Amino acid sequence: MRDLKLLGRLLPFLRKDAWAFAVALVLTPTAAGLSLLQPWLVKRAIDGHIVTGSMEGMGRLMVLYLGAVVGAWIVEAGYGLTLAWGGQRGIVRLRQALYEHLLRLPQSVLDRQPAGRLLTRITSDVDALGEAFSSGVVMILLDLLMIAGTVVAMALLDWRLTLFLLLLAPPFLAVLELLRRRLRTVFMAVRSALSAINSFLAERVDGVEVVQLYAHEEVAQRQFARLGRRFRDAATRSNVHDALTYALVDGASAMAVAAMVWFGSGGPGGLLGPLFHGSVSAGLLVAFIGYLDRLFRPLRELSGKVAVIQRGMASLAKVFELLDEPVPDPERGAPVEEVRGHLVLRDVRFAYPEGTDVIRGVDLEVRPGELVALVGATGSGKTTLTRLLDTSYGGYRGSILLDGRELASLAPRQVRRKVAGVRQDIQLFSDTLRFNVDLGNPAITLERCEAAARAVHADLVVERLGWEGVLRERGAGLSVGEGQLVTFARAMAHDPRVLILDEATASVDPVTERLIQEALGRLFEGRTVIVVAHRLSTVRNADRIVVMEAGRIVEQGTHHELMEAGGRYAALVRAGEAFLAA
Amino acid sequence: MAEAVSEGAEITVEKDRSGSGPGGLPLRGLFRTHVWPHRASLAAGAVFLALTNWLTVSIPGEIGRSVDALQRGLPVGGHALAIALMGAAIIVIRALSRILIFNPVRDMEYRFRQDFFAHLLRLPMAFWVTHRRGDIVSRAANDIGWVRVMVGYGGLQALNVSLALGLTGWKMVALSPRLTLLSVAPIAVGMAVVQWGIRRFIALFRRNQEQLGEISDHVLGSLQGMATIQGFAAEDAFTDRFRARNLDWLRTGMRMALVRSLAMPVLALSGGLAVGVLVAVGGAMVHAGTLSVGELTAFVALLMVLLPPLRSLGWLVSVAQRGRAALERLLEILQAPVPEESGATAAAATPGSGPGIMVKGLEFTYPGGAAPALEISGAVIPAGSMVGIFGRTGAGKSTLLRLLARLEEPPPGCLFVDGQDLVEIPLEAWRRRVVLVPQRPFLFSETVTFNVALTEEPDMERVRWAVGAAVLEDDLRALPEGLDTLVGERGVMLSGGQRQRVALARGLYRGGDLLLLDDVLSAVDHATETRLVETLEGLSGGPGHPTVVIASHRLSVLQRTGHVLVLDRGLLVDSGPFAEVVARPGPLRDVWLARRAGMADGGPVTGEAAS
Ligand SMILES: Nc1ncnc2c1ncn2[C@@H]1O[C@H](COP(=O)(O)OP(=O)(O)OP(=O)(O)O)[C@@H](O)[C@H]1O
Ligand SMILES: Nc1ncnc2c1ncn2[C@@H]1O[C@H](COP(=O)(O)OP(=O)(O)OP(=O)(O)O)[C@@H](O)[C@H]1O
Ligand SMILES: [Mg+2]
Ligand SMILES: [Mg+2]
Repeated sequence: MRDLKLLGRLLPFLRKDAWAFAVALVLTPTAAGLSLLQPWLVKRAIDGHIVTGSMEGMGRLMVLYLGAVVGAWIVEAGYGLTLAWGGQRGIVRLRQALYEHLLRLPQSVLDRQPAGRLLTRITSDVDALGEAFSSGVVMILLDLLMIAGTVVAMALLDWRLTLFLLLLAPPFLAVLELLRRRLRTVFMAVRSALSAINSFLAERVDGVEVVQLYAHEEVAQRQFARLGRRFRDAATRSNVHDALTYALVDGASAMAVAAMVWFGSGGPGGLLGPLFHGSVSAGLLVAFIGYLDRLFRPLRELSGKVAVIQRGMASLAKVFELLDEPVPDPERGAPVEEVRGHLVLRDVRFAYPEGTDVIRGVDLEVRPGELVALVGATGSGKTTLTRLLDTSYGGYRGSILLDGRELASLAPRQVRRKVAGVRQDIQLFSDTLRFNVDLGNPAITLERCEAAARAVHADLVVERLGWEGVLRERGAGLSVGEGQLVTFARAMAHDPRVLILDEATASVDPVTERLIQEALGRLFEGRTVIVVAHRLSTVRNADRIVVMEAGRIVEQGTHHELMEAGGRYAALVRAGEAFLAA
Repeated sequence: MAEAVSEGAEITVEKDRSGSGPGGLPLRGLFRTHVWPHRASLAAGAVFLALTNWLTVSIPGEIGRSVDALQRGLPVGGHALAIALMGAAIIVIRALSRILIFNPVRDMEYRFRQDFFAHLLRLPMAFWVTHRRGDIVSRAANDIGWVRVMVGYGGLQALNVSLALGLTGWKMVALSPRLTLLSVAPIAVGMAVVQWGIRRFIALFRRNQEQLGEISDHVLGSLQGMATIQGFAAEDAFTDRFRARNLDWLRTGMRMALVRSLAMPVLALSGGLAVGVLVAVGGAMVHAGTLSVGELTAFVALLMVLLPPLRSLGWLVSVAQRGRAALERLLEILQAPVPEESGATAAAATPGSGPGIMVKGLEFTYPGGAAPALEISGAVIPAGSMVGIFGRTGAGKSTLLRLLARLEEPPPGCLFVDGQDLVEIPLEAWRRRVVLVPQRPFLFSETVTFNVALTEEPDMERVRWAVGAAVLEDDLRALPEGLDTLVGERGVMLSGGQRQRVALARGLYRGGDLLLLDDVLSAVDHATETRLVETLEGLSGGPGHPTVVIASHRLSVLQRTGHVLVLDRGLLVDSGPFAEVVARPGPLRDVWLARRAGMADGGPVTGEAAS
């Protein structure tokens, strides 16, 4: 029942190709019918012609048979094609929808989702779904139809024999069902063990440098072996169930034939003799063998198909779990057109999900065109505060006003076009240098990229790679500082009204840093700039320096004011400059 | 049909060939370590499999005899009983054969994956820069499974199919050679078509897997850079790029469907035709009196026995081909050389004290790099000293440290540790002595403790010391579970400075004779920095103590080191005690003067001050 509801949710993705499914639906019974016709025609040939010896009309029968065989092939091919058409296009739509959904997930959710797991949703799970759909659900429908049709055809040929054979079915089916249930639980274990293996492996590969540097290989191998054994043992158990199912069906088909022969001859002690006497002909037996093959073939492959379907259903559940994760519509909210860059924070508080407050009552006003520096101990909440301003995290308490309007009421995506900058962690894409700077924004011309690169003194990188040069994964192949310059150029090229620089030059040498600062002063004249920095020499010329500690602002003022006040800031500066006096 | 069988044979032949290939990772070795130990179980399974097949093909004969008996009005109870018993035996024996064959294969898979993982962990950085990691992970995740299917399912089916085909064929020929020939002819044609289909299918399958790999890489990249994508409202560009890849995948998928839908049912078609031929020709033979009705029945039943293994033969070939493709992809990695202990004859120089390092005529170019990243004619790092490296962005600081840690392989005769060529020291022994804390911290999604100790049985005393030495105590107090806090993937739950110090604590926990710290103070405030530098000063300090090398952009850090090396665009431009270097004109002096000027007037630092 729950499974059906889940399947129903696929409909919107399949609806556009409804015609393909309709065609397949029509072709299904046709294929089954043509296939079932064959043994019957063979029986007619044997009983009506071969045994009796009258070859008249045999030719017509054979032509009919030929027609049925070729027709079945054509219909089956057409059926497979239409299904694949509808199914695969549906899968592609689902995958696209998942990806677009992913792009809207709030940071707070992404923080808690291992990348490997999300990747699995969009690749393996969607794949399993396609597989389950094309070779599972639909095939099982065809199989069921085939089984029902076979039984009907058999009954038409000889209902008594069919009835006797059917009486044998319940115990057989009961055992099969039992095995299937066990298989299901075992299968869950296999699946979770496998996904544990894969995400572990992915992470160690990601950090292979650390593994090698710290001779961590053996520990990692031990952990991996434990996961591997868990998988192996679960798989072994599923194997046993699988083998039993397969063998059972195989043997049962032979036993069905035996029963048929036995009953045909009159059953136990000839008791049923009168009922069957003379009715089981050779042709009937041949036809029934053909039908039994059609009856047992789907059953034999059942365990495999059940596995495919169960994997598919599990994937379906996971996929929709992700799709059901509520995402805010980034375009919803009041429109944002011109931004002057006036920020007012009133008693702002914020906690990460399941955490205590990290921002604990911040009051701050940043006037348009002002350059404000945020400094303070590591972990004091500077990055967190900037994340609230650029709307990467929502759900703050208190009030943040952008040009007098509450930030939370504005459309986040429109805010982001105006408020952006350099993040503390360097994020690069394995795409061209150009794309890394303009992020595919058609409004950003090559000239603008070039100007941005010059402003941040990333010319050397541009010279070496060329704009169409492709960066490697996560900027491998660049020095860390060079990577940071590229992200800086990105921020410059996007030309936001409020520029947020979170440790934007932490990995850049002081000479380049100073050159960038000068350029920044020229280019961002009149813009609001918020700088987070630990190297205090870089923020000395800020209009105002704000010192944070444990989620609060403890001091603010210009460099001179704060030095005179002799508080936290002055202490920090002295710590950083002690060497100059030496 | 015959073609298909020889296809299977070809695969084994090829395996043998690559097994004896020069320098190739010995498939024979894999066989010896992974397959041979299971020989008893596998052999028993094979015997059972042969038994099942023999039983299966015996049944139609029994049916034929009972039909003839029925026709003549003789009792058939005995025949029925025989068939039923054979059926019962099949259940037991077939189940056993599958269990005895498949279970060892699971164990082989486990061992193979284990080997693969072990190999991955030892591959040099030169390998990693030329391979996409997402692709490697997908090989481990998917391809090993395909190989397992090839060995297990494929092996079983190969045996099964050849036995079934052989036995059935033999029984059919025994019944009527002429009918056999006639009924097998359409099937042979059908098999040829299916063969062709499978070949096309596999080619498309490979392309499809690659496209899926591209999709994976795109998704992983997007996830890693999500904050940037959202932060710059660049979702549309990424969606477009994803759509293009998605549609590529669809196109290949549809072509696969076309091949599959047309070629695969050909087997059923030819099977049906074979039955038709049988009835037409066999009927005539019965009419002529050269065949009994019972024999014809048995023949049709035999054909029914023949069809399922033929169907599996189709899949068998495709499984073998996929498996082979997968194995090739895996061997490509397994054959990538791990750093050999090339002439690692030199005994590891006395561990337990900081080594002195000498650089002589070092020139290093990254694989695929146009110009050398580093060219140092000569430099010295005294034993037990604390040395700073200064240089502009991209000057080669990290490169030098990575060479010292042998993350990148230095050319021979350039780097000497206590007078011994670095490349001659066994890598493992060297790694035990050297600790590099990389510029970009990497944390595993485990607890803080695990990230510091990197073992499951940490020495808590030492963990606490390392965490204290890395000035993390205050931060840990603020974290929900202290040392047991899970830090999230790559440490997302921590602030930038916290991540960096956890990585530093890891280096301190491990300890070593040569401590290489790559800009590890870039994300901490000056107060924390001062305490950290004091810790490091406490560590080094003269003979017997570890040698410490710090790359940094901060003068305040460099000044505390005894000795600085100044790099510029890969060249060593100056070196010596900080006070001396800063007195000479050069990049370090420029920065120093600028800072002095800044301190003196407290006003904005201008460019002129630097010149
Ligand atoms: N995504 C997150 N989920 C949960 N907690 C977090 C997350 N990011 C940061 N924290 C916690 O919030 C606190 C403040 O972190 P934040 O990154 O704002 O500090 P910061 O002032 O920028 O420090 P740094 O100078 O080291 O960059 C830290 O204690 C950190 O552990
Ligand atoms: N894997 C690589 N392949 C090719 N070139 C590289 C690779 N890694 C670094 N480089 C290049 O080598 C040069 C030196 O890089 P390195 O990382 O040593 O600089 P760095 O002095 O550490 O700079 P930073 O201060 O930015 O950390 C740079 O020009 C860089 O682009
Ligand atoms: Mg921060
Ligand atoms: Mg570096």
